[in-house]
Amino acid sequence: MPSHPSIPVRREVPAWLRAALLLALLYGFLVAIGLMSSAFKILGEGHAGGLFAGVTNPFAALAVGILATVLVQSSSVTTSTIVALCGSGQLALETAVPMVMGANIGTTVTNTLVSIGSVRRSAEFRRAFACATVHDIFNFCSVAVLLPLELMTGFLHGAARTLTDLVSFGGGVTFKSPVKAAVKVGTRSVQGVIEETGLTGGALSIALLVVSLGLIFLCLKYITRNMRVLLVDRIEASLNSVLGRSGVLGMVVGMAITVSVQSSSITTSLLVPLCASGILTLQNAFPITLGANIGTTITALLASMAADSPLGLTVALVHLLFNLAGTLVFYPVPTLRNIPIRGARRLALLASNNKLWLLVYVVVAFVLLPGLGILLFE
Amino acid sequence: MFHWLLGDKQGLARIFQHFGQMLEDGRHTFDAACNTLVGGTDPDAVRDDLYATDRRINAVEQKIRRELVVHVAVSDRAEFPVCLKLMSLVKDAERIGDYAKNIFDLGVRVRDFHTDPARADLVQLKDRVSRLLAKMRNLHESQDEDQARAFCEQGEAVLRLCDERVDALVDGASDSTHPVTSALMYRYVKRVTAHAMNIVSSIFMPVDKLDYFDEDPETR
Repeated sequence: MPSHPSIPVRREVPAWLRAALLLALLYGFLVAIGLMSSAFKILGEGHAGGLFAGVTNPFAALAVGILATVLVQSSSVTTSTIVALCGSGQLALETAVPMVMGANIGTTVTNTLVSIGSVRRSAEFRRAFACATVHDIFNFCSVAVLLPLELMTGFLHGAARTLTDLVSFGGGVTFKSPVKAAVKVGTRSVQGVIEETGLTGGALSIALLVVSLGLIFLCLKYITRNMRVLLVDRIEASLNSVLGRSGVLGMVVGMAITVSVQSSSITTSLLVPLCASGILTLQNAFPITLGANIGTTITALLASMAADSPLGLTVALVHLLFNLAGTLVFYPVPTLRNIPIRGARRLALLASNNKLWLLVYVVVAFVLLPGLGILLFE
Repeated sequence: MFHWLLGDKQGLARIFQHFGQMLEDGRHTFDAACNTLVGGTDPDAVRDDLYATDRRINAVEQKIRRELVVHVAVSDRAEFPVCLKLMSLVKDAERIGDYAKNIFDLGVRVRDFHTDPARADLVQLKDRVSRLLAKMRNLHESQDEDQARAFCEQGEAVLRLCDERVDALVDGASDSTHPVTSALMYRYVKRVTAHAMNIVSSIFMPVDKLDYFDEDPETR
C-alpha cells in the first residue's frame, strides 16, 4: 500500500537485519536456559531455584507460580525457569504443573495495572478494568476446575508425557537435535568464561543463575520489542479485522500476535485501551485474550529445546494443554463463557464505584493470597 | 501464519486511503444534491445513491476513528499528531456530506427553482465549489503547501461571495423569486467550502490551530 506524505517517515531497520537479530536473540535465550539448567545441577537437589526451592505441596506451588510471575512481571521468565528446573531434574513434574498454572494467573496482573491508566474516567475505567480482569477471572476459573482434576487424575501431565513420548519416538530415544547441540556450544562457552574467574560450587551456580536470568530477561525483552516493531502493521491490521467480530478469528489473532511478540501481556495490554475507548467489546476481547493465553505457551516450548531431559518439554506441553483445556471448558458453551465475562463486569463495576476495590483486588489476588498459600501449605 | 507475517503493510496509509474515499464521496454527494436543486435532476433518480453514499461516508468516518485508536495503541508515537489531525478532519469530511443532504432536501421541496433568476449564479457557484472539492482530494494526496494556501484564498473568495449574496437577499436587493431557498443554498455552499478549507488548511496549519486558519494571518 502506498504511503502518504503526511505520515512521518520511520527509520526502518532492514527486515533481514531484524530477522538475524531475532535469531541471535532466540539463540541467546536458549543458551540462557542451558546455563540455568547447569546452575541448578551444580546447586543440587533441594537447593535449586530460590523461590521454587523445596516446594512440594501443589497449592504452595500454585502460589509460588503466581508470586514469582508477579515479581518478575513475565510468565515467560517463570515458565522458562520451571522448564529449566524440570529439564535439569531439580523439580518434580507434579509440582511444576501447578506452578505453571500459577504463572498463568500471575501474568494477568500486567494488563490490570495498564487499566489503572484510565482510573479517573469512570466509564472508560470500567470498560478497561473489565477487559483486563476477564483474563484474570478466566485463569482463576481454569485453575479452579483443572487443578483439582489434575490432582485427582493427573490427566494434564499424563497427556503431556504421552505427547513427549511421541515426539521422542516412544520415550526410549533421548533428544539429540541440532538446535540442542548448537545451544550446548554456546552454553559451554559462557560457562567456561565464568568458570575461568575461579568460581566453584555454590558461588559458580549463583553466578550462572544471575547471568542466565539476566540473559533471559534481556533476550525476551528485545525479542518482544523487535517483533513488535517488525509486525506493527500486521498487528494493527489483525486487530482492525476483529474489532467487530467475536469467536475463533479473535482467538487466532490473539494467538498469532502473542506467538510473534512472545508476550501475552503485550497482546492483552493492547486490548485495554481499545476496550476503554469502547471500540472493542468485552465479548470480542475475550477470545483474543484466550488466544493470547494459548500463544504465550510458545516460550516454554522454545525453552524446552534447550532442556537436558524430555521433562522440560513435558512441562511446556502441560502449559499448552492447560490453556487449551481451559479454553475448551470455558469458551464453546455460552453459559460457561459468560462466567468470566460477567465476573469481570461485576468486578469492574465495583472498582469503578469505589476505587478501594481495585487496590483490594490487586493486593489480595496477586500478593496476599499467594503469600498466604506459601505460608500455609509449606 | 506466514501470510499474516508477510502480508501487505497497512497502518496509517490505509487510514489515509479511507479518508481519500470519504473526500471523493463528499464531492459526489455535493454534485448530485446541487443538481437536484439548480440542475433540474429528478430527486427520485438520485435519492438512493445519495443516501447510500452518505451512509458510506458516516460508516467510513467511524471506521477511521476506530482504526486511529488501534493505530495509536500499537504504533510509534511519532505518528500521534497525524492521528489527532485526522480525528478532527473526518468530522469536516462528514459535514460536507451532511450539507449536501440539506441541499438535496431543498431540491426535493422546491421543484421549480430552475425558473429562478438566481439559478445561473448558483450553477456557477456550484461548479466553482465542485472544482475546489476535486482539488481538495488531490491536495490530500500531494500535501502541497503552496497549492493548499492558494486553495484557501480561492475558498475565502467563495465565502465572501456567499455572504454578499445572503446580505443582498436579506436587504431585498436580490431578484430571486425563492429568497429563502437561495439564502439557504448560499449558506450551505458556504459551509461546504469552509469545511473543505479546514481540511486543506491542515496541510500547513499546526494541529492546535485547525479550524482557526482564518483568524490568524500569521499562521497562514
